Amino acid sequence: MKKISSRQIYFFLACVAPVGKILFLPALLAKDAKNDLLFPILAQILVQTLAVFLVLLLSKRGMSFYELLENTFGRIAAKILIAIYGLFLLFAALLPLLEQKLFVQSVFYDTLPSLIAFAPFFIFSAYVCAKPLSSFGRTWDLLAPLAIVGFVGIMLLSAGSADYSALAPAGAAGGSGFLRSTADATSWFFDAALLLTFMGKYEYKKGMAWKGALSYLAGGAAILFFYATFYGIFAEIAPNQLFAFTQTSKYFSGITVLGRIDYVFIFALALVMAFYTVLPLQGGIDCAMEAFGTHKYLRTILSVLINAGFVALVVTLDYQFNDVVQVIAKTLFWIFPIFFLLVPALSFLLGRKRHETA
Amino acid sequence: MKLRKFIKTIPLKLYFLLTIVILYAFFSNDFGLVDIQKTAIILAAAIDKAESGFSLTTQIAVPKGSDRTTGGTSSVEIDAEGETVSDCLSLIYAKTGWVPKLVFCNLILIGEEAAKEDVMHSLNFFLRNEYMPDSCLMAVCEGKAGDMLSSQSAIDDASSLAINKLFSDAAVKSGKVMPNTLREFAISYFGVSESGYLPFVRASSQESNQSAQQTAGSGSGGAKSGSQEEEKIYSAEETAIFRGGKMVGLLPREQTFAFSLLKGNVFAGTFNVKEGDEAVTLTVLKNDGGVSLECKPVPKAKFSLDLLVRLCCRGSSGAIDGVTVDTVPEESLQSAQTIVTGYVNDLWNTCREKGCDLFQLKRSLYRSSLKKYAEWKDNFLSSTQVQIKAVVKTKK
Repeated sequence: MKKISSRQIYFFLACVAPVGKILFLPALLAKDAKNDLLFPILAQILVQTLAVFLVLLLSKRGMSFYELLENTFGRIAAKILIAIYGLFLLFAALLPLLEQKLFVQSVFYDTLPSLIAFAPFFIFSAYVCAKPLSSFGRTWDLLAPLAIVGFVGIMLLSAGSADYSALAPAGAAGGSGFLRSTADATSWFFDAALLLTFMGKYEYKKGMAWKGALSYLAGGAAILFFYATFYGIFAEIAPNQLFAFTQTSKYFSGITVLGRIDYVFIFALALVMAFYTVLPLQGGIDCAMEAFGTHKYLRTILSVLINAGFVALVVTLDYQFNDVVQVIAKTLFWIFPIFFLLVPALSFLLGRKRHETA
Repeated sequence: MKLRKFIKTIPLKLYFLLTIVILYAFFSNDFGLVDIQKTAIILAAAIDKAESGFSLTTQIAVPKGSDRTTGGTSSVEIDAEGETVSDCLSLIYAKTGWVPKLVFCNLILIGEEAAKEDVMHSLNFFLRNEYMPDSCLMAVCEGKAGDMLSSQSAIDDASSLAINKLFSDAAVKSGKVMPNTLREFAISYFGVSESGYLPFVRASSQESNQSAQQTAGSGSGGAKSGSQEEEKIYSAEETAIFRGGKMVGLLPREQTFAFSLLKGNVFAGTFNVKEGDEAVTLTVLKNDGGVSLECKPVPKAKFSLDLLVRLCCRGSSGAIDGVTVDTVPEESLQSAQTIVTGYVNDLWNTCREKGCDLFQLKRSLYRSSLKKYAEWKDNFLSSTQVQIKAVVKTKK
């Protein structure tokens, strides 16, 4: 089987994963945390870095995710757990998918387009999901420079318009604001859970755990810089700016003369985001494959069925984005740490013991 | 062999193809097709107070003949009354059958009466509308905004384009106007200072050449023809100041100029000073301005101005040798310093009297110390002391 290289894992953690956090989340956090929006993000980044470190450390054992669960919880429990894990990833995919759909419809079209404008995404998604997760490695090689160019371009055009003093005074939102917004952000931070599904598809290299954690921190630093700039530009009206990375660069003085040249960078990030959005779906299918066998056409059938299901969901929830945010991000946020932190932590603690006693 | 190689590369090709399909679907923008016959491209919007709610006048660009004599922008004004701005736009749609498109709306004009109530009641529509650029310029105008937008400009095809010219970069550098955008106004409105500003536009009549010729042709004592349209020229040298979204006062041109200087906007702008009885015009070559807040022991607003000026012209003719001299005599520098300090002082007094925290000092206090903010926020402007330091230098 084709293996993902350690470099490609670092690229994912440092360049691809941060893109999913700079679209809708900044406005949501600005609502509760106001000028303190960097703190909940910092908390999420630190927790996620720890989880990434843990997952990479687990991969040292050379097991796939299913083997790890089997080693920790036994065969039957592992089958059930991996199926639940697959369902979780599908659940986690819903918010980014709806976010992406709204973004494409609102930003790339002058007037509201028909639903069909987003439909090709699911053809693309069905194709990508029909391929094994290990095929993503090469894609990250291509997406990483695209993400860097997109992000750097947007930041170069945005930073000059920001008044970073808008972030003061620290602590204005208070403890409750911090807790509320940290909880809200949880639904966007589950990269360690995604990484868990990649176990066994890459070989652990010496120092990979801390290098991976550092890569994630580097991506996290970029996210923090973006959030600071975002709030520096919009201050009190930040909660109203729904598609953050498409909003910050338009005040660059050259735009009035040259037109929206920033769209080049926005396109780059949008493309990276499209691949990132597919990832939980593909992870979910991979989990199902591990749980229910490796029949030749099972992956393709699952891919078609799941994507068709998501088409139906997206159509049904067309005007319910706020309700979905309310349910997933504000009510069911606690589900996420179970999968990205508790499962790897238990596997780390219990699995080792079982291994040692064996 | 070749066939096998081809089949092997099919997944990659398909992957590539689907990525292109995605790009196409996402970024096609319906292939940029805008049916001009069904779309109202709104250039500007004017908001007035109506009996119940608002009156919205939109200036809509309409296609114009393409021959050389009729080039330019032609427009038509459509108005509607409703309880909300959205309501008004729907009515405009119903009246015309054109889908209102706000992407190109670059000016929001607010009528004088409407500005005396919380303008954010009407502006929140524009702020929430994702197709509306929040870099859109805003202004308050004398009388009804709808009338001003519907008036005939003497210098441009559409009144909104003529008014937009008042807010050009060059105009800002002259120090005569202080433009503001929807975004900046909204930030100051929702911030702790709850204060903001907008340029105040006035219109004055200007007889067009054609009208003048017609008048002349009708005889020396003849009255103007009743059908001729009065052309207008616009100016925005005054600035409306807001507190809580309501217009609470008007800064005259001198105070607007002082405000520009404090913002450090002025380059090559001019102002007059006295040298004895003679008027002298000075050009600002360099303008460093700023306002800061000192919190110990009581709040103190510190206004600082550092200007480098040169002599532009005198009000009377002198010897030819004097024409080449552009350094400013000490007496004029002293006069400039006194005048500029006076302008700033008047500006501060107007703001304090009207309760408008134009310089966002309350925000500075909030950002520097939450404790002191809680202590002083209720009577902040009245208890703030002021220190003005203006230095006017000339080129040596």
